[in-house]
Order: sequence, then structure tokens, then C-alpha cells
Amino acid sequence: MGKINVVTGRGGTGKSTFTALFTKYIKAKPLLLIDLDPDGSLAKMLGADLEKEGKWTVADALFEFIGKGKDTKDVPDLLKRKIEEGAILYKDEKFDLITLGTKLAAGCYCLPDELIKEMIRNLQKNYEMVIVDSPAGLEHLNRKVTPDINDLFVVLDPSEKSAKHIDRIKYVTKGVNISYNKFYLVGNYRFTEEIEAYLLRSGEQYLGRIAYDPLIREHNLKGKSLLNIPEDSPSATSVKKILEEAGYDLI
Amino acid sequence: MTRKIVSTGRGGAGKSTFVALMSRYLSSPSLLIDLDPDLSLADMLGIDLQKVYKRTIVEVLYDAVKERQRGGSPLTPVEDRFQGLIWADCLYEGKGFDVLTLGTKDLEGCYCFPDHLLRKIISQLSRNYQNLVIDSPAGLEHLNRNIVSQVDDLFVILDPSEKSMTHVKKVKAILKEVGVMYNQFYVLANYMFDEESERYLRETGETFLGKIEYDKRVEEYNLRGESLHTLPEDSPACRSVRRILEKAGLV
Repeated sequence: MGKINVVTGRGGTGKSTFTALFTKYIKAKPLLLIDLDPDGSLAKMLGADLEKEGKWTVADALFEFIGKGKDTKDVPDLLKRKIEEGAILYKDEKFDLITLGTKLAAGCYCLPDELIKEMIRNLQKNYEMVIVDSPAGLEHLNRKVTPDINDLFVVLDPSEKSAKHIDRIKYVTKGVNISYNKFYLVGNYRFTEEIEAYLLRSGEQYLGRIAYDPLIREHNLKGKSLLNIPEDSPSATSVKKILEEAGYDLI
Repeated sequence: MTRKIVSTGRGGAGKSTFVALMSRYLSSPSLLIDLDPDLSLADMLGIDLQKVYKRTIVEVLYDAVKERQRGGSPLTPVEDRFQGLIWADCLYEGKGFDVLTLGTKDLEGCYCFPDHLLRKIISQLSRNYQNLVIDSPAGLEHLNRNIVSQVDDLFVILDPSEKSMTHVKKVKAILKEVGVMYNQFYVLANYMFDEESERYLRETGETFLGKIEYDKRVEEYNLRGESLHTLPEDSPACRSVRRILEKAGLV
């Protein structure tokens, strides 16, 4: 049964970048990635073109059914069939990927999240590890997509808000009963030594900082896969170090 | 008529900074509503809600729900008391502007209920103000919930990545499907833009109003929890926001 690791944090801190580089270095195989962000970009960062491969996001599938007037209660079964047909699970050499996608109807993401939760429950046993890339903010935690987390990584930016963000994550996870084994802090590329020192004193487990790397921006702008970022680039070496610190087996 | 202004964008782009600075220049009084569960607008305005005995909408709402569940008085449904509760317990009254904060929820589920209640009363709440300014949570989900269905000025604040352009498309698609009408759709560049990416933005065909300039002091103020209203008038951030608002006809 694959353990579930979750990457979360405030918006724009570098959750998906961290997830992509996590994917690059983790030894665990087979590996399942979940992009829970409606504004999702993980696929692109990994060089996966869902459209070209004819893959659906969960939101695509859901609203395809509902748009065609299917009964809501039949949707889980229809979706299950779609998954079995391989319409949602993107497969690559290094990872499999499920993308939540953007919803174009009124309301919240409770239903798509509920479906993805069910998918994770069903698929988890086939994988050695699952990594979840979260949307910005806190609401996804309230929806408890992953009730049992192995390692929870919080990627932080250097502002006072980050400290409060940590408190709020703890407040919500406690309130809705999400359990985690480890609670790790990761500093993003804008961190300074001063702020690192502050985090080290916070009593939380701080794993290190993702080093600034112009290549990341260049890759993202051009839509190139972060899996191909050179081994000796600052971002790659720093993420590798962070993961070693957390005790992972890396390639 | 109250002018309805919404600031949105990907996480960490600078939505709250923009709202905080904008509130300096708008004709008073303005009502600012922070819809982000990972709240920070109050912080940026130097307001310590606890210290002034103000509570968040979520706190007040769920306390009232719990009280009713316990069979406590009063018997009036929470929905009907909502507006009164907000006026009494949540509204922070500042000089030239008032602030309401949605707050963080520690119960399972989404923010549909508080958002829904807010949508029902928002026109009444904002009736006596010159401007209603909504600071959105990161990402797209809040758009699906359609809290304000008639927006005068919609500002999308972008960071310089390919993801930003996808984000603009997604924002428009959701607004259309959900039926949010807007008068003006503006894109703004955040402090991380360079000239090349700015040029790219100009060529997209969207109404580009300019860039929020990098300002070291904004970072410092945020870290110290000091109000952005005390930022000197001639600082790069202030000057650029003012210029943007002039172009939008809001000053």
C-alpha cells in the first residue's frame, strides 16, 4: 500500500516545482501523482500534454457526464469505467498522473474532490508511493481528500503570513481529523538566511531551502519538463538534499 | 451606486498587496472583504482583529450554528441573523474603509455555506459604501461560487509564467459558465515581471494596466506586520498602484 505524501503551502510558493523535482529524484516505483489544483500545472511541468494524449481531467469527465444529463448518482460508476478505460490516468515512464482540472460550473470542488478521494483509495494499493500536489490555500484540507498522510511538506515563502499559515494548517488538520506522520517545512527560493534561522527556532522540522534557479522559470515559460533539469542545477541539488534530509531513497 | 471591484489571481501574485494599496486611493468609504481563508488583508492593513475584538465571518457563523444545534436560543435561523451578526461582531471600522474577513474554518467541507450566505447579503452590506473591494483567495474555486455576480472592475494579477496566461483563460471560461458579468477585465503584472514578459503581456490582447513595481519595503512591512497604509507615498509600490488606478478611472 503506497504511502501518501502531500505537498501544500500558500500560493506561488513552489509546491508544484517541489513536487516535480520530488518526482525526478524519488526511487519509489510505481509512483502515482495527483494534481489537486484546479489551476493545475503539474502535468505541464512534467512535460505531460494531457490533451495530446487524449486524457481527461477528473473535472472534464465529471462535467461531460453531468452535461449529458446523466444522473449524478451514476457518475461514480461512469467515472470508474472511464478510469478502467485509461481515460484519466496519464502514464509515463517515471510516474502515473491524475489531474483534477478546472470546473466550469457553479459550486465548489467537493464532488470532484470526493471522486478523486475514492480513486486514490482504489489505486493506492497498486503504487509504492503517492504524491499529492495541493491547490493554494487551505480549503482542500477541509475536504480531507487524504485523511492519512505520511509526510506533509509545507512549502513556505518568506513572509509573516507563512508563520500564520503553518498555524492554520495545524488548526484545520486537527479540526477535520487529518493525521500525518511528519510535518516538514521547506523554504522556497526567496528565503534568506535570517528567515531560515527564524524557522529553525520555530520548533518545527525544517528541511532546508529550494535554491533559486533561473532555469526553473525558463523551463516553465517554455513548457519544458523539469525532469530534464540538469543534475547540478541549484534547484535540483537543493531538492535532492531536502529529500535526503527527510530520509527518502533517491535515485 | 457602489462600485464593485474584485482582485484575483494565482497564489502569491500580490492580490492582497494590491487591495491594501488600492484602499489608500479609492474614494471613501470603501468596504474591503477578505475572502481568503488564509487571511492576510487585515495583517497588511496593520489590523490585529483579536486585539480589537473582531471575529471572522466563519467564526461567527459556525458558533451560531453550533449554538442552535445545542438547542440554544435564539430560534431564528442562522441565515436570518447572519447580517446582524456580521455588523455587530465582524466589521472592522477604519478610517475611510471598513474590513470584513471570511476566516479559516476547521470543520470538514467547503466554503460554500459561508460564501452562499455572503452572496445573499452582499448588496445590502455594501449599499452605503462608495466601493466594495473583494480580495479573493488564491486560485479559481471562489469564482465558481459567484459571490458578486455583477463586477465593475475585475483585476487579475499575474506572475510572469506561462501558467499565468493559462490562468487568464481559465478565469474567463469560469466567469462565462457561471454567469459572472464584468464591465472591465484588467490584467496587471506583479513585481516579478521583467520587460520581456511585460511585452508578452501587452501582446495578448487583454487590457494591460501596468506593473506593480517591486518594493523592498512591502516585503519588510509584511514581515513586521506593519500597515501598508503607512508606506511612503513616493515608494515604487504606491506610485505604480496609483498609476494603475488612474488608468482604470478609480482615483
